[in-house]
This record gives sequence, structure tokens and C-alpha cells, in this order.
Amino acid sequence: MRTAGIDIGSITAKAAIVEDGKILGTKVIFTGYNAEAAGTKVYEELLREKSLDKSAVEKIVSTGYGRNSVNFADKSFTEIMCHAAGAYHLDKKVRSIIDIGGQDSKAILLDEHGKVKNFVMNDKCAAGTGRFLEVMARALEVDLDEFGEISVKSEKPSKISSLCTVFAESEVISLIARGEKRKDIIAGIHESIASRVASMSARIGLIEPLMITGGVARNSGVVKALGKKLNMKIEVLPYAQVTGAIGAAFLATTL
Amino acid sequence: MKELTEIKNIVSNPYAYIRKCKKQTGKKVVGYCCSYAPEEIIWAAGAMPVRLFSANENIHLADTHLQSYCCSLVRGILEEALADRLDFLDGVIFPHTCDSFQRLSDIWRLNIKGPFHLDVVLPVKLDTPSALQYLRDALEKFKNDLGGKLGREITNAMLADSIRTYNKIRRLIGKLYELRCENPQIISGADFHAVIKAAMIMDKNDFLEALSQIITQLEKDGAQKTKAKVKKLVLSGSVCSHPDIYNIIENAGGVVVWDDLCTGYRYFEGLMAENSRPLEAIAERYLNRVVCPAKHMQLKGRGENLVRLVKNSGAEGVVFLLLKFCDPHAFDFPYLKGMLEEASIPCMLLDVETELPSEGQLQTRFETFIQIL
Repeated sequence: MRTAGIDIGSITAKAAIVEDGKILGTKVIFTGYNAEAAGTKVYEELLREKSLDKSAVEKIVSTGYGRNSVNFADKSFTEIMCHAAGAYHLDKKVRSIIDIGGQDSKAILLDEHGKVKNFVMNDKCAAGTGRFLEVMARALEVDLDEFGEISVKSEKPSKISSLCTVFAESEVISLIARGEKRKDIIAGIHESIASRVASMSARIGLIEPLMITGGVARNSGVVKALGKKLNMKIEVLPYAQVTGAIGAAFLATTL
Repeated sequence: MKELTEIKNIVSNPYAYIRKCKKQTGKKVVGYCCSYAPEEIIWAAGAMPVRLFSANENIHLADTHLQSYCCSLVRGILEEALADRLDFLDGVIFPHTCDSFQRLSDIWRLNIKGPFHLDVVLPVKLDTPSALQYLRDALEKFKNDLGGKLGREITNAMLADSIRTYNKIRRLIGKLYELRCENPQIISGADFHAVIKAAMIMDKNDFLEALSQIITQLEKDGAQKTKAKVKKLVLSGSVCSHPDIYNIIENAGGVVVWDDLCTGYRYFEGLMAENSRPLEAIAERYLNRVVCPAKHMQLKGRGENLVRLVKNSGAEGVVFLLLKFCDPHAFDFPYLKGMLEEASIPCMLLDVETELPSEGQLQTRFETFIQIL
């Protein structure tokens, strides 16, 4: 059986196609202004890359904040359900997930059958999310993709005490003015995200093995800081950013 | 249903209704902010008790008096008064409950000129041997003070009459809760919320009549409406001024069948004895009713009540709707959550202010919560 999952996030749209328990392919594009168009585009591009026709896919599940604008999907599930399903299919041993996306961060607890037992989600504020990192990358004039690599070199991370993205940005600007090193500021930013996500996760109590998913998992600096803060080993898979879409495709097999 | 449409109109513009009512009946309007306000005495005195709610507008005038760590309910009510939107009030009363409401009472006295102002100093511990006498005396003092402000004597006969009216309303609201719990399809959550809110705004006789009609109709309709399979939830917290919450929960496949809100079941819970002395009967109701967390009655009373509500209503989970910066409720939350966990009842916490968090976020949280029940 061949199924697809479409995950429309606030910054990127992801698609995945799954066949008989195997991942055939995945794709990530920017969501942009029109979530509906992004859903169609990412799916069609993936089909083209894999030389598949629409008729070759039996069921489609959509997820992410734009899940209801994917009008060609058979059903939608929340991204929490899909990240759980995706992580579980990638590694059956996983018991907790931290998902850091563009505008949300979430911690999810699973039981031994991959069922969601509990979850917690950030409210309102963008601190501890990908958007926060984007704002900081702009202030520091560094490509976001280099953040992880740069921060690893820091020996003395700067202190960022503001929780609010806007205030933290001005704090970072003061640090730049004071002549603090870029690597230390970036490491400080990662620590501030880690402590925000760790304190949120404490509300449900994480259990090992812990996996990180979502776009921010690509940033090795955040993962390292989070592992240190939680004092836990964190599993990062190359599929981290598309875990939600993969989970959606797996959930589509149950329809 | 004609009565329901009327009620929804009143709730969508309560101030217009109160002004019209005041003009037609000549009754004095007395505002209150909490379900410890002895409304029965206000109604007995021939005045019209109306509950004050927070502003839906941005709060800015109140910010000069109250810091942002005060809850949006207290700040919002002050905003309404400072913006002169409560000019229909002839008086306002403040029962002694949480710190923020006590300060609001003082700030009101200093800054809001016009309506008379009364504090009702209630005991904090409601399970001591002297609580009944204390409460009875406080109510007696309030009765005399209010009579003085309104220029009339409030007799036992007037109080007994008022108690009967409130009992009738409370009995019917209890019936409404039971009907909806039995078959949530009979009335949508948003409409249900409107009826409950109207109880705190409308003239008691008018409300009683409308409510009786609505319940008769619902009982008739109910027999024909099939019971859909939905996950039943209990809402726990202080006030709910967000009818959208009910819609969002319903869209996510759930339904709120019971609550322990100050603007909900706690307001209606318990009847007063009609054959004993009226002030004692009012006091006894407060001592028998489940407490607000700003009061004390048995260490785990609220938790036991919540678990009981969930079991009796057949609910599968609890949604805590807590006002940000409401410390009495926040202090209780960890132990309530613990008691629910012990009873294997899942719960989720939603912190709210005047505005709800963005709808997409709420939808995701409710959908997931309901799916994992």
C-alpha cells in the first residue's frame, strides 16, 4: 500500500510517501503566504521526483497548522499525533519526543505501542522556536545553517536572560555592541532555547529514549545544549524535519 | 426557540438590556463580581443584581492602577468602570475573596465616583465551628447596610420570597446541566454558555420564565435528537467568558458536559432551606457549597469534588481553564492534577487572558487531547 503525508508548517511544507512500511521519498519547501498552494506544490514535486502518478497513492493524511487547507487529503491529524507516529515508525523504542518547529515547540510522551500518553505545547510566545532562531540569525548576520557549527566552538556561552523574542533580540544587539564573540552569543541563544524547552518538558516528565524532531533538530547547537540541560541522550535522525509528514503517511495506512 | 434567541441577544449586549430594564422597572442596579456575593439579599431588596465581567477591549486605563500580574478579570472590570461603561450602576458590592478583588474594592472606592460601595467581609475558613455564626452576622450587617443605601427595610418575608425565586432558578439550571450531560446534542455549548451568563445578568423573574420555557422545549426536542458519540469533558476553573472554547472543543470531537466554574455550576450549586430563618439559609448554602480556592474548606475538598464531577457526569477528561495570574487557582492546580492522575483521569491546562490564544494552536491542543482520551 502506498500512502502520503503532507505537513504544512508555519515556515516549511513537507511531504512524504511511504510504501509497505518503507519511506519512498520526502520533500521540503517554504510554505510562504499560501498554505493551500504550498501543500499542492510540495506533493506534486515529490511525485515528479519519484516519477509517480497521483493515482499511484491510495490515501493521504495532512497535518501541521495548515492541515485543513490541504483539500486533497483524506483526513487530517494534529502534528502531535503525526510526530508521534513518525518517530515511532522510525524507532520503535522511542518514549519521548521534543518537536521544535517554526512557531511551536512541543514535548510528547509515548507508551510502548507508540500511542500518545501526554503532551505539552508552548503557548502564544515564539521563544524556544525556529522563528526565534531566524530573528537572531538576522541580528547576527549569520546563515542559520551555520549556527550549530559555530556555537560548538564556544567555550563561554553568553547569558541571554530575556524570554521574549523581541527583548532577547535587543539583548543580543547589546552583546554585539559590547564585543562579545559571535560563537558565544550563538551558544548563549541555544542555551536559552534549551532551557525554555526543558522547563516546558518538565511539566510532563520526559523518559528515555528521547528523539528530537522538527526543523530545529537540524541545528546541532540546540540539540547539544538541550541534551546538556536535560542530562539525556537525544536521538537525531536525518528525517527529523520530515518526521511529521512521515507519521502522517503512516497514519494514512490505517484509514 | 424564541426565548433562546432573546437570551443570546441580551448576552451579546448586556449593558443595553440592563439600561432598558432599569428604565422600565425603576429598579436600582447593584453590581457584583463573584459568586460569594449574596445576591438573594439584593434581589430581596427590590434591586437588580448584575454580575460584572471583564472588558473585551484592550485594557489600558486600568493599567495605571493595577500591575500586569493581576488577573485580566480584575483589570478588565476596573477598565469597564474607568471607561464609564458602567454608568447604570447604583451600587457595587465586593465580597471578601482573593487579594486582587480586595484591592479592586479599594481602588474602586478611591477612583469611581457615583455608585455606593459595600464590602461584605466573609470568613476565610468555612469549616470552623464559628463560621456559620460569623457568616450569618456578616450577612446581617450587609442586609442592614444595603437597606440603608437603598432606603428601605429588608424584611424576612422579602428574603424568603427571594430565596424561593433563586431556588427555582437553581433547580432548573441543575435540570439543564443534567439534560445536556445526558444528551449533549440538545443544545450547543455556546447556547448553553449564553443561558448561564444570562442568569447573572437578567431580571430574575424574566430569566426564570424564559428558562422554564427553554427547558420544556429542550425536553420535548431531546427525545428526537440522537446521541452522537463524543468525548465528554469537565471544565474546571474560575470564570469562562469565552463561548468560543465550547465551539472549539465541539469541533475537535468533544463536548463540555459539566464544570466547577464560578460562572457555572458553582454559581448554581446547592439550594437554600425555605423553612428556616432566611439569613441562616443563605449562610448555610455557602458552607455546603464547594469552595472557591480563595476560601478554605477541608484540605482536598475541591479535588474530591472534581473527581466526583468527572465520575458522575461520565466525562473522560478535564480541561483546566485558568486565568493567567489568578494565584488561588494556580496554587491549587498541582494538587488537583495529582488527584486526577491518581484516579486515571487525563487533564489539560489552558492559561487564558481576555483574549484566547490563536485558534490554530487551540485547535491542535484540543484535537490531540480528545484523540488521546
